[in-house]
Amino acid sequence: MSDFLFGMRLRGPGIDTAGILAKAVQKASDHSYSENETEVIRLFDEYRNRLLRYTLGFGLSIHDAEEIVQEVFLSLFRHLQLGRPRDNLRGWLFRVAHNLALKLREARHARLDSEELSDVVADRQVDLSPGPEQLLVSAQRQKCLLAVVHALPERDQCCLQLRAEGLRYREIADVLDMSLGAVSNSLSRSIARLTQADREVT
Amino acid sequence: MRSEEFHLSDQDLLLALDGELPDSHIERVTEHLAACWDCRSRRSQLENTIEKFVKERHAVLDPQLPAETGRRALLKAHLSELASASPSNFWAKSVRGLAQRKSVAAGLAAALALSVAASIMLYRSHRQIVSYDDALALMEPSRKLTPGAVREINLRDICDAPQNEDAARVVPASLQQEVFREYGIEGAHPRDYEVDFLITPELGGSNDIHNLWPEPYRSTVWNAHVKDELEDLLRAKVCNGELELATAQRDISYDWISAYKKYFHTDKPL
Repeated sequence: MSDFLFGMRLRGPGIDTAGILAKAVQKASDHSYSENETEVIRLFDEYRNRLLRYTLGFGLSIHDAEEIVQEVFLSLFRHLQLGRPRDNLRGWLFRVAHNLALKLREARHARLDSEELSDVVADRQVDLSPGPEQLLVSAQRQKCLLAVVHALPERDQCCLQLRAEGLRYREIADVLDMSLGAVSNSLSRSIARLTQADREVT
Repeated sequence: MRSEEFHLSDQDLLLALDGELPDSHIERVTEHLAACWDCRSRRSQLENTIEKFVKERHAVLDPQLPAETGRRALLKAHLSELASASPSNFWAKSVRGLAQRKSVAAGLAAALALSVAASIMLYRSHRQIVSYDDALALMEPSRKLTPGAVREINLRDICDAPQNEDAARVVPASLQQEVFREYGIEGAHPRDYEVDFLITPELGGSNDIHNLWPEPYRSTVWNAHVKDELEDLLRAKVCNGELELATAQRDISYDWISAYKKYFHTDKPL
């Protein structure tokens, strides 16, 4: 079916998976990198962790978050290849990740609502390393501030998470389609709420 | 902003901390802060809250982040695939080549430019579709449109047949277009999708629209190549007697990504 794996096909159950990855990496290294590819990899190195943390804030599994980040950088490459604007690429990355995360979360919820659990799905749930929601439950016991953040309206949470990943107010406003004043209000409201919660505990 | 005989608001203090004060306010706020211990103390409370939040956030989230090497290698591989397939390179080169040849009639150039613009627009609109909704939606087929369908087959037929027997796998172009239509991606480029069998014919899947869906080759990590690996593994297990055929069919049709994770004991494609 695919040339890529054809060599592996006849070997039976012992699939040479290390070989598959090595082949892909080899193929990539044979290829001379264009400016756009180099730029995408540079941005991947710089923003991958920040985008993963931001995406995890939507209650998705780390696996889903990784899928999204991968897709974000493939979209970025297409964006650059098409000669679209390069100013504010950082804001662009977070905006695409934000939209993909919302869509995937919606799809996951729709799916969980409409379908009964089969043993395959049950396996998947056992397989998962603790998801952000479970971590938040434990956070509620140990980590007071994150629990407070989790209780904020989603838009306020997004503002705060984006700010925590180093975005300026202008960029946050662009990602979330808000005014500059609304971003400032949201952030100061959240920090005030956190300060108050912190005072109540200590 | 309040006047100087009052104090600065929390919002002003945060704006000052974040370097986001409008130019017109900077001087007044700086002067007030220099004079006012109350406001400086509130400012450090805010800073303290931010510091605690940032620390907790890293403590909870960072241990979840996997090493980046595998994903980085995959991204590089995908990029070189995309780069070598990208039509925009081709068009850009042709247009440059044409511009250098002065003998080409202006009319011809204009006509060509128009058609280039049209192709680029088509390409853009198509790419947009692939990159957002559908890339995510199509990692796994819709269970309504593609529940999976099997034909009567016995184990000997499955295990004795030469693998990758092309005749069983051919999906007529008209049926492919029907699948694209059903999934709302009419006009998708066949090179971007494999119209794939949910239950592979090698495991008894049938050539029925209920068993077919457009699987993206490039846009996701869980792509057609990865599913091929799972199919090979399941067939081998069925033929070695390690797995019931019906179980293999059910697992791959219910949720092939979960099945891959289960049978390869991994969270991501190997």
